[in-house]
Amino acid sequence: MSTLHSEKAKAFLQDEAYSQWHDNTFWSVRTKRDTMARGLPEWEQLREKASAIKRHTVTHLDEYLDQFATNAEKNGVIVHWAADAAEFNETVYGILKEHGVRKMVKSKSMLTEECEMNPYLEARGIEVVETDLGERIIQLKGQKPSHIVMPAIHLNHDDVGELFEEKGISDEKGNHDPTYLTYRARLSLRNEFLTADAGMTGANFGIAATGDIVVCTNEGNADMSTSCPKLHIAAIGLEKVIPDYECLAVFQRMLCRAGTGQPTTTYTSHFRKARAKDAEMHIILVDNGRSDWVGNPDHWEVLKCIRCGSCMNTCPVYRRSGGYSYSYFIPGPVGINLGMLRNPREHSGNVSACTLCLSCQSVCPVKIDLGDQVYKWRQELRALGAANKGKKALCDAMSLMFGSSGLYRTATAVSPLLNILPHGLVHSGVNPWAEGHEMMEFPKKPFHSIFKDLEKE
Amino acid sequence: MSKKEDILARYRAHVRERFDRPVLDDIQAITYPDPLAQFVRMSQTVGGRVVEAEGNINDLIRKLFPEAKEIASNLPEITIATRNPDTVESARALNGTDVGVIRGCFGVAENGCIWIPQTMKEKAVCFISENLVILLPKDRIVNNMHEAYRQVEFHDYGYGTFISGPSKTADIAQVLVMGAQAARSVTVVLV
Ligand code: SF4
Repeated sequence: MSTLHSEKAKAFLQDEAYSQWHDNTFWSVRTKRDTMARGLPEWEQLREKASAIKRHTVTHLDEYLDQFATNAEKNGVIVHWAADAAEFNETVYGILKEHGVRKMVKSKSMLTEECEMNPYLEARGIEVVETDLGERIIQLKGQKPSHIVMPAIHLNHDDVGELFEEKGISDEKGNHDPTYLTYRARLSLRNEFLTADAGMTGANFGIAATGDIVVCTNEGNADMSTSCPKLHIAAIGLEKVIPDYECLAVFQRMLCRAGTGQPTTTYTSHFRKARAKDAEMHIILVDNGRSDWVGNPDHWEVLKCIRCGSCMNTCPVYRRSGGYSYSYFIPGPVGINLGMLRNPREHSGNVSACTLCLSCQSVCPVKIDLGDQVYKWRQELRALGAANKGKKALCDAMSLMFGSSGLYRTATAVSPLLNILPHGLVHSGVNPWAEGHEMMEFPKKPFHSIFKDLEKE
Repeated sequence: MSKKEDILARYRAHVRERFDRPVLDDIQAITYPDPLAQFVRMSQTVGGRVVEAEGNINDLIRKLFPEAKEIASNLPEITIATRNPDTVESARALNGTDVGVIRGCFGVAENGCIWIPQTMKEKAVCFISENLVILLPKDRIVNNMHEAYRQVEFHDYGYGTFISGPSKTADIAQVLVMGAQAARSVTVVLV
């Protein structure tokens, strides 16, 4: 009766020390976010504005995309459009092939994860080197990110130390000090930056008024990736385009404060033109479902997301189950919703990974009603044919009972009998609400009879 | 139809209610009684160092980095430079730079950001150098990013970046380490 998520969460919780550390780590990031938010008296006003800008932009994308592409082209940038993941991958490969690229360095991009670009290119003989330290670690480990901002959060320093020894990145055996390991990764990546033929970045924002793409990093890896090679390819989802700098200021101020609790990322880089006269800059605008999702009356607002990660950091279920418990590659509250937009049959198991505490929507910088949307998805499960069969049968029985006063009275009159039923029977697995916690004790006398007695007195 | 038209047509067929652009000039953004003092505080918070210019700038850099051998800059006043990002053969030739010296346009008090439009042929100097020195006019500090984005200007090179402190990462076990892929230290010299 358990969902895939709850089964995986169970496995995650086996390692008690680690799961406790995971929970505490993300809670401390959430606390840092609170400190940042409280440091700005205008924080809630910014959230209102950020939400309103995104509502406006996401519902005027045709105009802004056209403006963005026109301005980028005026700057000499070559703009491509990709309807889906396959077209995106083909486009990237086409550009790389034309330039005879064998190795490409790349800064973090969730869009390339979404399109599964790395395996596609590697199968065609192109080496792709991730340059965000966290992404590099999981690439070497052959894993996927477990958080959108902190992709290697599921590994500790010993895991990374051993990995670096195995891959020949560090040479002092047993030295697993994060400062040392970071330094060794720096040396190894420096070599990659200097020998790559192309650099790829994602984009946090595309600016319609100027044609810039804006990339925010702490490591400077997007800038390093594009400083030496003569070819820069930027991958950007349609919804990342915003009108102008006046709007950008709002998001720049919020992205990092909300996501990691820093006042800003170290680098907020604007790429407007190719690096040199003999260099090329390409932008690939990717749809891959977005132009459909905008038509979903209940769920289109998920397109407002700026991928800050703060809904994951605060989520009690994410904190205690980890990114790998979710079936979609983006975990946490926003991942549940994006997964359902992508493929509800495949990802419906995730909608149970929510307590409806709504902490996510109280921190989301663009005010997406993430928890409410999860609730709505649950109501839609039946129509999607994805409802949990056991819970559905019990719910049907309950609605029958609560819908008829006679049945309800009989049920409450006999409910104390449950108290004396053997534990094993109540927790037999037929009753999903008794999993992982004790059942309530039913009162001897139901409330409506107590109330009647009181009235008589 | 082109791919662009296909995608835009699909979007237009699906988009429902269209929302208006909100008014943004009523944002009550934070300001500081002493923006420079706040800028200095924030620069230190993000791991940077701030010093006041005194005497000859070359002597100051020597004093700050006594071990430095390779110094890269295209600024005319940096006479101790051993490399020039305008004339190096390629960006790769800037690898191994101990100190890069560049000029910033203005600083932002709320987060220690400094606007650096590309003014050199190889922007690599801003990232590849082990230590970065940014010369910043101290009378050019704005309060917040709203004010900052009203002043952002580019040169002919189509690149510009806000830098706030040294390159950093916490990707290994959430331990903060300065010096991920770009400059390991940032020193702001107020001029
Ligand atoms: S949904 Fe909101 S909180 Fe979650 S990642 Fe997106 S912007 Fe951040």
